[in-house]
Amino acid sequence: MSSTDETVQPRALLSRRAAETVAALFTGAIGATVVIGSREYGTGWDSSGPQPGAFPFYVGLIIVAASLVNLVRGALAGAGPVFVDRLQARQAASFFLPIVAFVVLTVTLGIYVGAALYLFGVMVFQGGYRWWTALAVSLGVALFFFVVLERWFQVPLLKGPLEAALGIY
Amino acid sequence: MKRITALALAFAASVASAPIAQAAWQPSKPVEFVVTSGPGGGTDTFARVVQSIIAKHKLVEQPIVVTNKGGGSGAEGFVYGKGAAGDPHKVIFGTNNEYLLPLVAKLAFKPDDLTPVAAMAMDEFLIWVNGNAEFKDAKTYLAAAKSKPEGFKMGGSQSKDTDETLTKLIEGATGTKFIYIPFKGGGEAAVQLAGAHIDSNVNNPNENIGQWKAGLVKPLCVFSPQRLPAGPKVAGDMSWGDIPTCKEQGVGIDQFQMPRTVWLAPKAPDDAVSFYADVLAKVKDTPEWKEYIERTSQTNRFLSGAELKTFIASDEEKNRKVFEKEGWVVK
Amino acid sequence: MDNLISLMHGFGVAATGFHLTLMVVGVLLGILVGVLPGLGAPNGVSLLLPLTFSMDPVSAIILLTSMYWGALFGGSTTSILFNIPGEPSSVATTFDGYPMAKQGRATEALSLAFLSAGFGALAGVVLITILSTWVAKFALRFSSPEYFAVYFLAFASFVGLGGTSPFKTIVSMMLGFAFATVGMDTISGSLRLTFGFNELLSGISFLVAVIGLFGIGELILTMEEGLRFDGIHAKVSPRDVLATIQRMPRYWMTLLRSSLIGCWMGITPGGPTAASFMSYGLAKRFARNKEGFGKGRPEGVIAPETADHAAGTSAILPMLALGVPGSATAAVMMGGLMIWGLNPGPMLFIEKPDFVWGLVASMYLGNVVAVVLVLATVPFFAAILRIPFAIIGPVIVVVCFIGAYTVSSSMFDLWLALGFGVVGYVFKKLDYPVAPLVLAMVLGDKAEDAFRQSMIMSRGSLAIFWSNPLVACMTALAVALLLWPLIGMAQDRLRASRAVAPVG
Repeated sequence: MSSTDETVQPRALLSRRAAETVAALFTGAIGATVVIGSREYGTGWDSSGPQPGAFPFYVGLIIVAASLVNLVRGALAGAGPVFVDRLQARQAASFFLPIVAFVVLTVTLGIYVGAALYLFGVMVFQGGYRWWTALAVSLGVALFFFVVLERWFQVPLLKGPLEAALGIY
Repeated sequence: MKRITALALAFAASVASAPIAQAAWQPSKPVEFVVTSGPGGGTDTFARVVQSIIAKHKLVEQPIVVTNKGGGSGAEGFVYGKGAAGDPHKVIFGTNNEYLLPLVAKLAFKPDDLTPVAAMAMDEFLIWVNGNAEFKDAKTYLAAAKSKPEGFKMGGSQSKDTDETLTKLIEGATGTKFIYIPFKGGGEAAVQLAGAHIDSNVNNPNENIGQWKAGLVKPLCVFSPQRLPAGPKVAGDMSWGDIPTCKEQGVGIDQFQMPRTVWLAPKAPDDAVSFYADVLAKVKDTPEWKEYIERTSQTNRFLSGAELKTFIASDEEKNRKVFEKEGWVVK
Repeated sequence: MDNLISLMHGFGVAATGFHLTLMVVGVLLGILVGVLPGLGAPNGVSLLLPLTFSMDPVSAIILLTSMYWGALFGGSTTSILFNIPGEPSSVATTFDGYPMAKQGRATEALSLAFLSAGFGALAGVVLITILSTWVAKFALRFSSPEYFAVYFLAFASFVGLGGTSPFKTIVSMMLGFAFATVGMDTISGSLRLTFGFNELLSGISFLVAVIGLFGIGELILTMEEGLRFDGIHAKVSPRDVLATIQRMPRYWMTLLRSSLIGCWMGITPGGPTAASFMSYGLAKRFARNKEGFGKGRPEGVIAPETADHAAGTSAILPMLALGVPGSATAAVMMGGLMIWGLNPGPMLFIEKPDFVWGLVASMYLGNVVAVVLVLATVPFFAAILRIPFAIIGPVIVVVCFIGAYTVSSSMFDLWLALGFGVVGYVFKKLDYPVAPLVLAMVLGDKAEDAFRQSMIMSRGSLAIFWSNPLVACMTALAVALLLWPLIGMAQDRLRASRAVAPVG
C-alpha cells in the first residue's frame, strides 16, 4: 500500500521460485512432446544402428529428467530474490507488447506496413517524438528496406493488401 | 555506396522489361521461381539457368525472383506452391520428387495438386566404382556383389529417393544385395567413393565428373536405352559415349532417368500454363540452354501438355512398384 | 615451390584494376548483406550468381568470394554492436564482443574482430597456397566416422564451461538437439517431430532461433534494466584503431591456436560455425585466468573471429579440390562453378591453373581490401549507435524480424523468433546458458547423420570409432577434452580434502 515501499524496494511481481517452476515445467513439456513425437518412428537399435526416433527419444527423456531436477531444486531454493519487480515488468512489457503488435500487423498487413506503423507508434507514444518526425523516420526506414531488399537483392518479403492495391506485388 | 547503386541498377536492368510478342495471358506482377532444393543443388542450378536465359533474351516482361524452399527434400516448396492456389505468378521447379515424395512421406500435398507445365531435361544415372577398383565392367562388379550379399556399400543422395530406388531396382534385376548408405547429396557420395569409403554409387554424370577426370572414380554403365552422345574425351581416352549401357552389360533395366520439371500452383488458368510452356520452349532452343545440357551431360528432352502427363503417369507407376515392394509407401 | 610460382602467376591474373574494383564492390555488398541477419552470405551470393553468367569465371569467382569476405565481416559487426549475429558463424563473437561494446569499447572490439579475422583468413590462404595437394588428399580420408569424431571434438571442447547449474546446461543443450531433429531425416527419409504442421517441414531454423534468443531476448533485457545502450557513446578515432593494432601481438598465442583450429575445421567438414565455438571454448580453457570471459575479454573476440575466418577461407579448398562445400555459401559458389563450365575436382588445379591460382591470389588481396574497407566503416556504425534508443531499438527489432522472415520466407518464423525472444529473456534471467543450445542446433543433425551412417557401415558396431588411427586419435582427444573439467573438479576436491586433513 505505501508508496515508499515501492521506491525503496520495488515490489516483486514474480518471485524467482515461481519463475524457476514455470521454466522447468515449460522445458519439461517440450521434452515430453519430443518423447511422444519420436515414438512414431521406432526408438530401438537395429542392425543398421539407431532407428530414426531413437535419438530424439532419449534427448526428450533427458530433457524431462533434467527439468524435474531443476523443478525440485528451484522449489527447495526458497522464494529467492525477485525475478521481476513491477517497474522492470512495466519497462519490459512496454517494449515487448509493441513487438507482438508488430508481428500481428506484419502477418496481416505485410512487413513494410507493419514496420512503418510499429516504428511510428513506438516513436510517438514512447519516444515522445513529434508526429511528423516519427512519420518521416518510419516511412524512411520502410522505404529503405523496400528498396534494398525488393529492388536490389530481389528478396520478396511478406506483403499485404496495400502493396497489392498499389500494384507493386 | 555509388558502386553498390551502379551494380544494383545493372542488376535491375538485367531482369527489367522489354516488349515481347502478344500472348493471351501475361504476368502482371513479378514472377517467383520456387526452387525445391537448397542453394547450390541440382534443381537450384536448373532454375537459375532458366532465369538467366529468360533475363538475357527478355522472354518475360516482369522481373523474376528465385526463392529456395528445399525443406523436407523439397516438400516445403510444393506445399508453398499448393498454398498459392490460383496464383499463376508462382512457378515451382523440381524433379520427379513432386509426385514421388507424397508416396513415401505424409505430406500436405498430393501429386495432382500442382499443375504440370513442362519437363525440360532428363538427368542420367550411372554405376560408378572407385578408380582403383579391380572391376572393369558392370558384369564383374555385380557378380562380385552377388556372391557376397550385404558385403558391398552403395552410397547415394538421401533416403527413399531416386538413388535408393535405383539401388533397389538393381538389386531386383540382378539378385544382389547392397548396404545402402544415404548421404546429404550426390557430391558427398562422390567424395566418399573417391576416398574408397564406399564401393559404388549411382550418381548423375554432373556429380561425379570432377572425380572421374582425376581417375578417382570410374563409370561402369549408364541406365539409358542408348549410349550417351560421345563429346570430347573426359578421362584418359574415355568419353561419355564410351560407357556401355547397363542393358548391354546384362542388367535388366532399360532406362532410369530423373526429369527436371516445372509446375504451377493449383487451378492455374490454362492460358498461363501455355504461356509458361511457350517461354520454356523458347528457353530450350537457346544456345545457353544447350551449353548447360552438354556441360551437365543431361539428356535434352522437352515435354509439355498431354505428352508430359503420360510421362508422369508412367514414371510414377514405375517407381510406385519399387516403393510398394520395399514397404516405403505411407498410407 | 611450384605452388609459389603458380601463386605469383595468380597475382598476375588477380591484380588488375577491374578485379580490384570487383573486390571493392563485392566486399561492400557483402558487408551490407552480412549486416542484415537472415539475408546472409549464401543468399547474397546466390542473388549475384545470375549476374556472373556472362562474366569470365575468374572475375565471377572474385566477385562472389569478395562478397563472402564482406558478409563474414558484416556479420561480426552486428554481433558486437547489437548482439545480433548476422551470420551463424559470428554467434560466438557476441559472447565477449557485445559486453565490450556495452562498456563503451565498441571501437576496440570491432578493430580486434576485424584484425584477427584478417589474420585468420591469411592463415587459411597460406595453408591453401602451401599445402593444397596434401590437404586435398588428406580430406579424402574422411568418412562418416571421422565426421562424427570432428563434431564430437568440437562439442567436447566447448561444453562444461562454467555455468551455474549443470542441469540447466543439460536442458539447454538437449533442447538444441531436439530442435535440430525437427524436419526431414536424411537417413530414413521420414519427417520427424513435425506433428503434421507444414511450417515445421523445413525444421526449426538455427538463424531464427539465434535472432530470437540473442537479438530480441537481449533487447527485452536491456529495456527491463533501463540501460538503453548507455555506454556506446564513445567516439571513434583512428588512434583507437592504431592502439588496438599495436596491442595485437600480445595475443599471439590465441591467434595462433585459433588459426590452427580454424584451418583444421575448414579442411575437415566442421565448418566455420563449429570452428568459432571450439576456438572460444579452448581459449577459455587455456586461459590462465578464466575470469572475465563472457564479460568482455579481448581473447573472447579474437579467438572466435580468427577461427571463423580461417575456417571460412580454408573451406574453399575442399570445395575446389573435392567438390564438397564446407559451408552453405561454398555450396552456392560450387553451383556457380558448374554453371561457368568448371567441374570442381582434383583436376581443376591442373586444367584451370589461371582460375584456381587467380582465386587464391584474390583471396590474399580480397581480405586485405576487406579489412581496410570494414575498418573504414567503423565510424559509420558507431554513428548509428548515437541515434537515440527510442528510434534505433525498434529499428533493430524490425531488422531482426526481416532477418527471421528472409531465412525461408515463412510467416511462422516470425512467431518462432518472438517465442525464442521470450525464451532467451527468461533463460538469461534464470542463468540457463544459451550457447550450448545454439551449438547443439548447429551440430546436432550433422552429428546424428554421421553417427547413423557410421552405424550402417559397421552394421551397428561402435568399434568403428576406433577403427583407424585417424578416427581413434580424434575420438580419444574428444573424450579427454570432455573429461577434462571433471578431472579439474576432482583435483580441486582432492586439494580441499588435503587441506582439511591435517586439521582433522
